[in-house]
Amino acid sequence: MTATHAAAAESDAEARSILERAAAASFPPLHAVHHLLSVGVCVRCIFRMFGAFSHACSCASLTVPFFHSFLEEHDDSAKGGSCSCLSTDGACCSICFGILLPTCHQDEGVVPFDDISRIDIITSMVSQAIQREGYQIDGFSLEISLPAVVAANERAIRLYMKEKYGSENWFKDEIFSQQTMSVKEGLRLLIVPSLEKQLGVKHGNNSFRIRLTYTHDDASLKLKRLLPNDSNRKRKAESREGNDTRRNSTYDDKQTLSETDSFIHKSLEGIQDQEFCSLFKLPPEKVSKPCHLVISFLRPAIYIGGRYLKLSRNVSQSCWIIDDERMGEASVEEIIKESVCAISRGDGYKFHAAGREDIDVRMLGSGRPFLIEVLNVRSIPSAIEIQQISDKINSSEKKHVRIRNLKLVDNEIWAMMREGEAEKQKQYAALIWTSSPLTDDDLQKISVIKDMEIVQNTPVRVLHRRSPLERKRIIHWMEIEKVEGSSNYYLLHLCTQAGTYIKEFVHGDLGRTNPSIGSMLRCRAEILQLDVTDVKMDLLQ
Amino acid sequence: MAGEDAAACAPQVGGHAPRDAASFDEETRALIAPDAGSLPATPPSAVEANFARYFAADYLNPGHDQYVYRHPNGLCVVGLAPAHVALKEEGGITAIDFNVGKTDRSEIKVTGKRKRNAQHLQENSALCKVCTKDKTFVVRCCVKGQLLEINDRLMKQPDLLNTSADREGYIAIFMQKPADWLKVKDKFLSFEEYKNLRGIC
Repeated sequence: MTATHAAAAESDAEARSILERAAAASFPPLHAVHHLLSVGVCVRCIFRMFGAFSHACSCASLTVPFFHSFLEEHDDSAKGGSCSCLSTDGACCSICFGILLPTCHQDEGVVPFDDISRIDIITSMVSQAIQREGYQIDGFSLEISLPAVVAANERAIRLYMKEKYGSENWFKDEIFSQQTMSVKEGLRLLIVPSLEKQLGVKHGNNSFRIRLTYTHDDASLKLKRLLPNDSNRKRKAESREGNDTRRNSTYDDKQTLSETDSFIHKSLEGIQDQEFCSLFKLPPEKVSKPCHLVISFLRPAIYIGGRYLKLSRNVSQSCWIIDDERMGEASVEEIIKESVCAISRGDGYKFHAAGREDIDVRMLGSGRPFLIEVLNVRSIPSAIEIQQISDKINSSEKKHVRIRNLKLVDNEIWAMMREGEAEKQKQYAALIWTSSPLTDDDLQKISVIKDMEIVQNTPVRVLHRRSPLERKRIIHWMEIEKVEGSSNYYLLHLCTQAGTYIKEFVHGDLGRTNPSIGSMLRCRAEILQLDVTDVKMDLLQ
Repeated sequence: MAGEDAAACAPQVGGHAPRDAASFDEETRALIAPDAGSLPATPPSAVEANFARYFAADYLNPGHDQYVYRHPNGLCVVGLAPAHVALKEEGGITAIDFNVGKTDRSEIKVTGKRKRNAQHLQENSALCKVCTKDKTFVVRCCVKGQLLEINDRLMKQPDLLNTSADREGYIAIFMQKPADWLKVKDKFLSFEEYKNLRGIC
């Protein structure tokens, strides 16, 4: 008990010294200060408006009653037992709606916290949310979003003060007209040291962002209705958009609110002080409901890249579903995502690859470069964790997919992958059949070909979704290898420009690819199996 | 020599520059090596493997046999069936004419994914005419839908109709709505049925 008393006494002393310093240095005549207090402006906003705000303002003893008694001592006008500023109706600050001096926790009802610095409540909510979400952080940056009403309130109070004290000498000094610290800056000043202490990491230009979004729907909507032209313009815009926006009411509400905020901001800028005074009640009405606070976190996407091998002819690259029916037993995308997901937690996972192969084509040899984009990742995966992801895929029972060179990469690789995609060369091994056996001359004829141009009409197989075009492609080289023990089967090795349709190049696609293996060898050629044996890119090699 | 790895030896055998084909690691080499024992003597052709083959015998006129090869993606390749009467004429087909009445089908250029300019035709619409030494036969669309392309190689090489009407000698490609296909599907014969009807093997 004594310790508490001692602490309280110390705090009181501190509050007193803060007040005395502020009164001496920057406060206007105290009756004006007292008047602000009585129209519901919080202690912290008063300090802020008079340029006396500092981190010290979070002092727990700096309460309205304390402030009032201080004013009583120094200013005659504040004397008297019952003063409107002392009423305990629980109203929020008429400027900041309790953002700088939180009075209650929005989700769990009203909680009075007189004993601790109230900002710390927000801090511990942030800290708990970080723990709940499992974020691991080495620093943070802070984003604060306030409702437009706060700015309107501040302007209203300023204009009210001007109206009331504009003729007094002290008002004509720059004291009140100068730009003072905004509510947002004030909150930042109070909460950053508190967050740093609680989270144990420094605030700065960190990629991990803490976002505090304050909203006040009632006040925002009320303000919106006051603004001129608003309803007209809104309604016109809505009727132009049709009924679509109205059908989904929750979406509509949210949309309207965020639009409202930017609209209010814009409208307020365009309104002259005089018009402002005629529209608003000065001073602003007291509001008992504080702002609603939503705490969210954001980390930019990270990329994990590597090369994959696809060893199955019944696994597609991406999940492929036609009319609710799954094509193939699995997909490279899902297999990789699943393992990344198991080890690195994020809000979403996106798979990107440098090109793709058909479901019945295997991807062997060097493998194909790919990236996994992890959105809002909870912790940056360590080298060991990356290895675990790789091991998990490579040791899976079914062995459909294998991973090589998996590593954390930066987002520049993204552009490199897209760049290389168009010009890269790809090497294939195709099992082909010819209607007549090939002679050594035939094999020789094929193997001396270098950088041959072919013309492919869009294959019938994809003509339903692609544009009908003549596509020119280069076959860089070919090599035909006999298959032992059969006279009509061969292994065709070839290296081509990206985008060449290999199956069509072998069988000719009803003469729509020309020349084709069949047309060059003057026989019918069929393709039975195809494997990609190399994707020639420097990337993730 | 013949028993050895042909690809690895290819550079030496052919006497030309070494190729990347020789540079596979053992594992890749093993994966791509085919098992000769499991290969069929004659594999299914690309047409057999990729299309469902349907036939219309005596379409609108006796002896006017046509085929419709339907790809799972909904596209239909249309051409002359083996027993088409024009193929039996002396000298076979000598010319093809895509100019039927008001429009020349070979002059319409379909463009883009959405297939702009594609003509919507009915099953019994005339697609083209094939000419023999002294006769002309009208070929029908057989399917209702958009005409995506005609085989313009036939204008320079009409002989493709005589030599490989079932492949390079196809006449046109259509895209039709799945619902329209279901309506006409049952009117066609399967390859087996057609074979039995015409006594060909």
